Amino acid sequence: MSNKIITMVRKELIDAARDKRSVMAGLYYAVGAPLLMCGMFFMLIGQLTSPEDLNIKINNPQGAPDLIKYLSSKGITQGDADKNKDILLVISDDYASNMAKGISADVTLIADASNEKLQKSIRRLEKSLQQYSSEMGSLRLIARGIDPRVMQPIKLNVEDQATPDSKAGMILGLATMTMIYAVFISGMNLAIDTSAGERERNSLALLLSHPVSTGQIVISKIITVTLFGMIGLLLTLIVSKFAYSFVPWQELGFSVSVNSSFIGMMMLVGLPVAIMAACLQLFVSFMAKSFKEAQSYLTIVLMLPMMLAMAASYDIAPDTLQWLPVSGQLQALIEFIKGRELPGMQLAISSLITLAISALLAFGMQKSLKSEKIVFGL
Amino acid sequence: MHHGMYSPLRARVCPTLTRRKKVALAVVIWAAILLPTVHAQPLTLSAPKAVNTTDNSCYVDGLSEQMNCGSISVPEDHDQPEGKHIQVYYVVMPAIKSSGKSEALLAIAGGPGQSAIENAKGFDQMLTKVRQTHDVILIDQRGTGQSNPLQCVGDGFASPLAINESDFDAREESQKCLDELDADVTQYDSLSALRDFEAVRQHLGYQKLHLYGVSYGTRMAQLYMRHYPEHIATVTLDGVVPMQQSVLAIGDAIARAFDLLIQDCSNNTLCHNQFPQLAAELDKMDSELAQAPKISMIADPRTGEATQLTMTRSKFNGALRMALYSPSVRALIPHAIHQASQGNFQPITGLYAMSMDGAGIAMGMHASVVCAEDWQRLTPQLRANISQHYFGREMLKTFEKSCAVWNMPTVDSSFSQAIASDIPTLILSGKLDPATPPSWGEMAMEKLTNAKHFVAPYATHGVAYQSCGNNLIAELVEKGAVADIDGECLNKDISRNFYLNASTVEAIPSDTDTKQAETALNQ
Repeated sequence: MSNKIITMVRKELIDAARDKRSVMAGLYYAVGAPLLMCGMFFMLIGQLTSPEDLNIKINNPQGAPDLIKYLSSKGITQGDADKNKDILLVISDDYASNMAKGISADVTLIADASNEKLQKSIRRLEKSLQQYSSEMGSLRLIARGIDPRVMQPIKLNVEDQATPDSKAGMILGLATMTMIYAVFISGMNLAIDTSAGERERNSLALLLSHPVSTGQIVISKIITVTLFGMIGLLLTLIVSKFAYSFVPWQELGFSVSVNSSFIGMMMLVGLPVAIMAACLQLFVSFMAKSFKEAQSYLTIVLMLPMMLAMAASYDIAPDTLQWLPVSGQLQALIEFIKGRELPGMQLAISSLITLAISALLAFGMQKSLKSEKIVFGL
Repeated sequence: MHHGMYSPLRARVCPTLTRRKKVALAVVIWAAILLPTVHAQPLTLSAPKAVNTTDNSCYVDGLSEQMNCGSISVPEDHDQPEGKHIQVYYVVMPAIKSSGKSEALLAIAGGPGQSAIENAKGFDQMLTKVRQTHDVILIDQRGTGQSNPLQCVGDGFASPLAINESDFDAREESQKCLDELDADVTQYDSLSALRDFEAVRQHLGYQKLHLYGVSYGTRMAQLYMRHYPEHIATVTLDGVVPMQQSVLAIGDAIARAFDLLIQDCSNNTLCHNQFPQLAAELDKMDSELAQAPKISMIADPRTGEATQLTMTRSKFNGALRMALYSPSVRALIPHAIHQASQGNFQPITGLYAMSMDGAGIAMGMHASVVCAEDWQRLTPQLRANISQHYFGREMLKTFEKSCAVWNMPTVDSSFSQAIASDIPTLILSGKLDPATPPSWGEMAMEKLTNAKHFVAPYATHGVAYQSCGNNLIAELVEKGAVADIDGECLNKDISRNFYLNASTVEAIPSDTDTKQAETALNQ
């Protein structure tokens, strides 16, 4: 029995390898996705870490030369009109006289706060103005013979339990999602080809005429697709390990490292997911009448793990999701990355559920292969 | 008022001032006789051994992030390893993305007598870029912070504002402090501390260190270069005290910084129009207070309670001197001088309150270092030079008394020789520095064959904290060489306008209402 399965897996692999384009299509994702993610992170870091200079419009700068000088020392200046951000700082006409009298001088910041791109710059400007204001205030107190520390009755001490690794959790959640997704994408073409495709080429009926049980056929197909999924995952992890090391994470104040223990963990946790992905994709493909139809269905089916994965990384309904396939494993992996204790119970149950779903799908496939309707695509 | 250098990290004005409330009054009252006890200092330092170590994650003042803290036990006298031991505490601020455990940056605080760990927040801000890839180590040098601190906290003074400094017998106060300390103060010199530093490096397992020293910390860094060059990758000396120089000679630097201030004000139209007689007013106040202190009743700067203010020459000059350390507080000096000359001491009192706690300096350790390494090297001619200025005279008087009590062994004469080294070294000086002028940076370069010296035109003491100097340090640490480092960014104008009244740095509109309001506010 096991000999027959091994023979058939070998046959499936040879079949799959013959169609090089389809193999490559599956693996493009494995190599491409981490690289695309890296590109995205590079841009994200560029946006998050504010550049040295912030150019804004300033009305009446001659009304507050010291303030302008201070802002300039913080890299905030009035630049050329075309380079300016859409932020306007208006220094009131009575700024100097109010300052001299020791009362608050008006400075108005005009900007569209709903503009996402301006958020960072607005906050930076507000913070600088606040710092200037409190420095002026402190010195005003000193000039009146008062220790400025009287203005600080409470000294708040914050103790942050986060480690540089755990701060990376959000980002790595996204990255982990693309990695898990590799087991779906990498095996997809093969799953379609070996089921709907094989039927289209009329070789499925031929295969069934051999002295092997439908169960053995289904198992060998599942093993082959799972193998492809796992190869895709491994490739994704290896590419990620190298590509992610080039992203300047430290500029965001944390570190991201895809190390060997993470790769091992990922492969282990990814295996049930890969089996389920193989079963799901084969099942759907068998149900479809043609290769093309299978492709259309699978695209929709693939949305499901994607949504589960996204829900897990954005902490939506975490209580239910922790038991479900894909999201359960993802949550466990994110905990692992953050250096916290691995939720073993949760991982075991979600993996068992994943395998149970796989078994159901495999059983369904085995049944369906006995139906002429399915075998001949009637 | 206290004498000597100090690191500027704490001397900044912002709403989050976190100084310790201890009033280091003994500073004011150090006193009198020089005893000729001379011990030979070992030139080659044997590899120190540390025992009884502890390591823990912890939090430090002002930072929310987890750090690694620990301490090692070292012999108080390194030449008697079986004798009494003291704990030396350190904090490792971990790199965000570690480039391996072989290199770290050791940041050394000033003073002498400041705690590196208490200044962690300042060092963290300044070394953010370095920390992206390198661990930063802070060590409480023996006698400071938590490491068996030699604090001399004066007691029995109801109000430091009320005392007249000249009434105190500094010798007696030093003796009282010495009697209370559980330490052999003669072991708290720089070279003993250097062996602790090296023991901490070995304990933490770093192959090489990048050094950053500020103010007195530059002396420790230079000694590290001299005695353990094989463990040093790069060095940054910020506000450098060259080995050839006694810190007691800073009178010239202080006088120079006052001259620069007066010059700055007269070059500035607004300041000059508002305070046309600034130099004369300063002289007038100084000579009046030299005759006799001025006594008045004021509201205590901190508690608000009515208290007696005895404005002495020492308080007046000391407050102004300390204000010179920070570019933003410096902006208040012309106003403070002018108001004092009009009989209003509030601005001066405010400035004095800022430095009343001695900037967190452990005065006992301060005395150990200065008496061993700076006091005894003074030649009669140097003494005569130093005595030319008020601060120099005061310092000589003070240490003459306290060093007599402290009875430190003299360092070997080779201690004062220029450091000869080819380790990549970055030297930063602030043009407006009231403690370590740019000429001291030049002096430190004498035998450094691989060094670059930058003078930041708008910085005072502690360039890296006030300018882009921090970026230069990160560049040095990353490249491991000084050749390509360009100090152009230091020329960015970070100066501030002078305060023209108690409220503004901007031009005062010339109408009588404002004048009246100003007068009302100043009463």
